[in-house]
Amino acid sequence: MTRLSLNLSHLRFRTKISLGITALLVLFGLFLGTMISTIAAESLRQESRKRGVAITRNLSYRAAEPLLAMDFLRLKNLVDDIRNRSENVNYVFLTDDQNNVLAHTFSGGFPIGLLKANTLGSNRPVHIELLRTDDELVYDCISPIAIDGRILGTVRLGLSRASVDKTIGKLFFTTFALTSGAVAIAFLLASWFARTVTRRIKILKDSAEEVIRGNLDIQTAPVLHGKCYESVPCNLPSCPARGDNRRRCWHLAGSFSRDFQNTENGQSCLDCPVYRANRGDEIQDLSEAFDFMAVTLKGYIEDIREAERLRSKQEQLLRTILNVTPDLVSLQDKDLVYRAVNKAFCGYFNRSEEEILGKTDFELLSAQQADHNFHEDQQILKTQNHLSKEIRVPGRQGMRWFHILKVPVYDGEKVEGLLLTARDITVIKQYQEQLIHSQKMEDLGRLAGGVAHEVNTPLGIILGYAQLILEDLEEEEHADQLMEDIRIIERQAKICRKIVSDLLGFSRSTESTMREVDLNESIVEVISLVGHTFGLNRVRIVQDLDLDIPPIEGDRERLKQVWMNLLNNAFDAIGEDGYIIIQTKLCSHRRRVVITIADTGPGISTRDMNKIFDPFFTTKSVGKGTGLGLSVSFGIIKDHNGRISAFSPVPPEFLKRGDHSLIAQGTGTVFLIELPLWQEELPEDMCEATLDLIT
Amino acid sequence: MLLVNSGSRFFKALPLILLLLLVSACSEEKPKYVNMQHRVELAVPTPPPAITYAYLPQYSHTVSFRRHDPLIRYLRRETGLNIRQVFPNTFDEHLKMVEQGKIDISFSNPLVYVRMADNHGAEAFARIVEPGGKAMFRGQIITRSDHPEISSIQDCRGKKWIAVDRDSAGGFLFDLGYFMDQGLQATDFSEISFAPGPGGKQEKVVLAVHAGKYDIGSIREGTLDVVRDKVDLSQIRVLAHTPWYPSWVYAARRNLDPKTRGLIAAALKRLDPSVPEHRVILAQAGIERIIPSTNTDFDSIRDLVNKISRGRHDKTLP
Repeated sequence: MTRLSLNLSHLRFRTKISLGITALLVLFGLFLGTMISTIAAESLRQESRKRGVAITRNLSYRAAEPLLAMDFLRLKNLVDDIRNRSENVNYVFLTDDQNNVLAHTFSGGFPIGLLKANTLGSNRPVHIELLRTDDELVYDCISPIAIDGRILGTVRLGLSRASVDKTIGKLFFTTFALTSGAVAIAFLLASWFARTVTRRIKILKDSAEEVIRGNLDIQTAPVLHGKCYESVPCNLPSCPARGDNRRRCWHLAGSFSRDFQNTENGQSCLDCPVYRANRGDEIQDLSEAFDFMAVTLKGYIEDIREAERLRSKQEQLLRTILNVTPDLVSLQDKDLVYRAVNKAFCGYFNRSEEEILGKTDFELLSAQQADHNFHEDQQILKTQNHLSKEIRVPGRQGMRWFHILKVPVYDGEKVEGLLLTARDITVIKQYQEQLIHSQKMEDLGRLAGGVAHEVNTPLGIILGYAQLILEDLEEEEHADQLMEDIRIIERQAKICRKIVSDLLGFSRSTESTMREVDLNESIVEVISLVGHTFGLNRVRIVQDLDLDIPPIEGDRERLKQVWMNLLNNAFDAIGEDGYIIIQTKLCSHRRRVVITIADTGPGISTRDMNKIFDPFFTTKSVGKGTGLGLSVSFGIIKDHNGRISAFSPVPPEFLKRGDHSLIAQGTGTVFLIELPLWQEELPEDMCEATLDLIT
Repeated sequence: MLLVNSGSRFFKALPLILLLLLVSACSEEKPKYVNMQHRVELAVPTPPPAITYAYLPQYSHTVSFRRHDPLIRYLRRETGLNIRQVFPNTFDEHLKMVEQGKIDISFSNPLVYVRMADNHGAEAFARIVEPGGKAMFRGQIITRSDHPEISSIQDCRGKKWIAVDRDSAGGFLFDLGYFMDQGLQATDFSEISFAPGPGGKQEKVVLAVHAGKYDIGSIREGTLDVVRDKVDLSQIRVLAHTPWYPSWVYAARRNLDPKTRGLIAAALKRLDPSVPEHRVILAQAGIERIIPSTNTDFDSIRDLVNKISRGRHDKTLP
């Protein structure tokens, strides 16, 4: 039965309707036909029995007279007459009250078995017994011949049922033929009816498939019969139904039909000629609703697509922001499963997004770290308080600092997850350290400046008095030893004065005189001062000066001090047998001047490189350097709004430029000084020469 | 789902529906088998010896039976004799059967009796008192109430007359004698017919007149009561009554055992209308009571017969 139901469910709707109606008609026809035939057959048999009763009763009435008269001839004639005149009468016979057969219609003897086959009923005047002979079925009717209740004999009549059965057979055949005909006609009608229904359902199905395929521009309902604005006097060009030949006007929002029932003296749509011309059955209503739904859906889908596009754009923007940001960002749900991570997060853990999403820290981190994070995160989720901390973690390039911010994410009032942002603050930390260091140095400079200022006066007095003593002693004899000592005092006082002067310069306590300065000239002056001395140790100064350099605004003396410090440092680094290459160049866009001073010395170690501009840092032996030269130079260049930087060993890119073959690869130091042409801030972009150095 | 479920229930019920259809189509009584091939030749049964009692067939055998069967059963009980009613078809047959000794006890009208007595030696031993209380009876001449031409006996001249039987007393001979007394001869009627037999002749006369087939009819008085259920008597008018004649008579055939005759006569005489059982028997037979009678009681009849016989000799009678 389930299989039958399954097979039925697979049938086409049209077939189902046809089969259903046919089955119903067949069953109904069978039922009705059988019932009618049965009732008719029973009625025919009943009529046959009644006929038998009537004939028998008539005969019993007619037989009374001859029976009383014992007129056997009349009795015989009577039964023969009945036998011959009445159709389907097989036999007739009469008996007396002793059941002796008085007359019968049989020829060739009386079938004695018939005599007791039927007996008089107790109440009914005629009793009928269905008898079966060798040939056929017979209704045997027995009726008393009685007068005033006195039974004189009986009449027996055998009525053949063959003709009745034949008639019944014909009736059955006719009934079932008619039923079959009716079923056939009904099947045709049902098929036609089903086709009219299924054709429209197929249109609906096709339209639905079109909708599934994304085509919402469908026409399921029949085409309109005439235009509404032609059927109804309508002078509303703005009505949405005007010009719309596909949809019924009553489906269109704001159409005239909406107002029809209110404006036309209480008329309803049923009175509207447009409605009467275009209304349909339930399937048409469904089709119209479907078309209307498609139109509405189309609008909704366009809205949704627009919203989706916007959302996608926003999402892309958000993802771009998240992925572009160097911060590590992740979103965990309340079970601490990663639901979203950005590119930086993936890059930090060196995993793809797919490898992270759906996992917890226990699958990504070490057990200890994961456990720590778990408790920390649970605490945040429980307390709903955010966490902000800085941590230091070992990285591939040394220790790194991160600022961690964990914030609970709410959905309404319920915590649904955890947002983590981790920002790499290593550089900031370094800046902080440098700032602290600079602050310390500045304080130290101020202290030194103050000390130098206080020391400068008594030192001047010491030097002055020492010189006075020397002048006095020049006139004395035998004061050579004393003069020598005083000269030592004078010399050491001068050294002290130099130190104090440097300290004052470092602490910017000295006055500066800003005027036009020819850089090349200042450099040449300094070279002329030291060139001879350097030459003694076979240290040669090579000049490559740009003659196009215009005068700049600066303090000539202090700049010369810078050149002097740098040349002395170079000389000290070389010691003997080397070169110092000094180069000036006007930057291409003429906004600054670049001075490079390179040497062929052993260079500066990486460890020392960060400290060379610190005051009192020196690699020179005691008494040879104060450790203030570069820091003073740094201060002077800074006062000129310039920059000074050092590179060691000399970058290969620098060596490739110009005639620097004197400098061996992997040695030497080059100082790079950038000065603006005017007293203005040095541009942020780097000069070509600078770029060549550092790239 | 509803469709599948309902469909499933329908399919489950389908065999039951078809079974009911088949059962309803096939339910029928079972026939009883009879072997029609086994046949025997049957002889006509011979009735056992009995005293035969016959009622002159002026009515149908059924009426005769209905009237006299209770009386015969009474006689059987009272006399202990096996008395059986026989049914001659006509008056002549009745006479003939009396003559042949096939009728032992004859209950006939006085005219027939006179013939039986005079020609065949029958002898009267009792006669009846009519329901009106008279031991006499008479005939009636009837016509349709609305007959336009007949208002008196003389109007019957030239009309069509139907009588009971040529030998009927009240139904023809009394009436013929009355007409003759009134000056109307048989030839004065355009037609004289007799009711076709056998049996039921009195009723047939009334029916024929009622139907308008005949203008007048002659019947025994009392017949109209018999046909009250069959005919609308308001459309029948009694035109005239004949003179009274001795009533019906019980006669024994010649040579009947006197003892038997005596037993029967005594039994008849004992019928007392005051006895409820007897009253029913007598009422059924249309008899008030039965009184003894002798042959001489019927001389007036003989006179009538002679008068009519003369007419027959004159061939004025049918």
